[in-house]
Amino acid sequence: MKIVTILKQVPDAEARLRPGPNGVDFSGVTFVIDGMDEYGVEQALRIREEGTESEIVALALGPARYEEAIRTALAMGVDRAIHIETDAGLDPISQARVLGKVIAGEEADLVFVGGKQADWDSSALGPAVAEVLGWPHSDWTISMELSDGRVTVVHDADEGSEQLELPLPAVITTQQGLNEPRYPTLPNIMKAKRKELRKCTLEEAGGAQPLTELLEQSLESRERRNVMLDGDPKEAARELVRRLRDEAKVLSK
Amino acid sequence: MIDFSLGDEQKQIQSLARQFAREVIAPRAAHFDREESFPREIVERAAELGLLNVGAPVETGGLGLSMLDEVVIGEELAWGCMGIYSILMASELGITPIVLGGSSEQQERFLRPLVERGGLAAFALSEPDNGSDAAAMKTRAVFGGDEVVLNGSKMWITNGGIADVTVVFASFDPEARHRGVAAVVVEKGVEGLSFQKIHGKLGQRAAHTAELVFDNVRVPRGNVLGEPGDGFRIAMRTLDRTRIPVAAGSVGVARRALDEAASYARERHAFGQPIVDFQAIQFKLADMKIGLETARWQTYYAAWLVDSGMPHTEASAIAKCYASDVAFAAANEALHVHGGYGYVDEFPVAKLLRDVKLNQIYEGTNEIQRVVIARGLRK
Repeated sequence: MKIVTILKQVPDAEARLRPGPNGVDFSGVTFVIDGMDEYGVEQALRIREEGTESEIVALALGPARYEEAIRTALAMGVDRAIHIETDAGLDPISQARVLGKVIAGEEADLVFVGGKQADWDSSALGPAVAEVLGWPHSDWTISMELSDGRVTVVHDADEGSEQLELPLPAVITTQQGLNEPRYPTLPNIMKAKRKELRKCTLEEAGGAQPLTELLEQSLESRERRNVMLDGDPKEAARELVRRLRDEAKVLSK
Repeated sequence: MIDFSLGDEQKQIQSLARQFAREVIAPRAAHFDREESFPREIVERAAELGLLNVGAPVETGGLGLSMLDEVVIGEELAWGCMGIYSILMASELGITPIVLGGSSEQQERFLRPLVERGGLAAFALSEPDNGSDAAAMKTRAVFGGDEVVLNGSKMWITNGGIADVTVVFASFDPEARHRGVAAVVVEKGVEGLSFQKIHGKLGQRAAHTAELVFDNVRVPRGNVLGEPGDGFRIAMRTLDRTRIPVAAGSVGVARRALDEAASYARERHAFGQPIVDFQAIQFKLADMKIGLETARWQTYYAAWLVDSGMPHTEASAIAKCYASDVAFAAANEALHVHGGYGYVDEFPVAKLLRDVKLNQIYEGTNEIQRVVIARGLRK
């Protein structure tokens, strides 16, 4: 079986981001492999460790700095990696079109990708990759089992969960709860440098035209309303509860 | 050519150590400090990941990491807890005399099982009655036939008694002072070796510190590193290196102190604004940053000298002395920024100060470091 795990590299969750003249200022920021994608890497490794002979390929589309995240995946145990190196800011649909071509070329049986991308908070990449390939997909997957060319999954639905069975090849989007990703060990970090990391340009991977253009970015700001509830204390308390419940929605009904 | 960047592999190693410190060490640090107990699971986990005995040569099944790799790891782990890092650091200290002074047969015999088991090593030089004046040691080694017999006691030994392998320095000729010292490898479980755990330490309470007692301990002659008279030189060459990880640990503590102080100062309000807006606080943070950055570069420089095979005695003494002084000052200021909250255990800064005091003392007091540095300036 061939498993492709799609990776992104994103700012560390503890990084302090500042707005800059050209979007977010990433200077001095530590980048890590997207935690959501890490569940996919771990799941692929577990499939192999549980006895399904597999080749695991990490696939990433992004700037040169992504290499560090790719090396982390190699150190965790992925066999080889493909890095489509580009500084282009592509929307998820355009990304999926490029990634889809590479995945089809690899003749993969199973694709893992994070349920959500931590940088721009999009949940579109997994479904878009499935759409491009014409494959079934399960999003927000919390458990999965392989048998006879099919995969049975449980995934989150709006209120509760669903069990689905999909034929392979398929796309699985991953999230917290699916597994507990391992740390790369030091010996594996040393071995990772001898593994294949193939680089190609966006054009070599098939090219893509962005469908959207980023015009401006701004930071979300929160302002206090400074509302004073005067008058009868009982009345004021009732009004406070009403506002917390109906407006702030921090109390249940 | 000067290049200040870490290699790709070093960045990976740093990121692993940072994650381990943040997710595994830091959340448990207060517990082991309070209980004064040994963090066995954390040490085992570190060993599984390859973070223990990183300097063991490739020929013995180790990773043979460079000193720069080791200091990159050390800063990260100490950020999580200096006491827990001391356990790993003391094990590197324990294997270093074997790496520097042991034959390939000795390295194979002592280091391979240690690497395979994830065992700890220890270094036993100080005694109840002497520390800085190491050549005044009273522990005796008597050579006879195929054996060496050890008698005496060693003090302040990190991992003492729980280490699989301990390098003990003992005098076979007190008249000859430092020329009469042998470095002897003693394995755990040997008859006549006992230890007393030292309780009531101010800080670094997760680290196991003990007094080791040798009562007619017999080990094979083949456990002596180098020639019998090489012991003192092996000890000094070891410390010339292992002071650099002490500096790295200090840098980690200094960084933690700055992180804690800055984060508290951004949240704590006084007179209608976050206290970080006051210049009195900003200057403290700036001073911590100055100390942290300069100490890190001196530490990296000393490590680079080791890895380049160049003389590093002075550079490592400067790194150890400066970084631990800087870290002590940073922890002290971080505590002060926290005000009353800094003085209680609810926040981690009081522990930083208690822990890092030791960095100014062990592996050569900072006065000894200054003696080493001044030696070249007297004439």
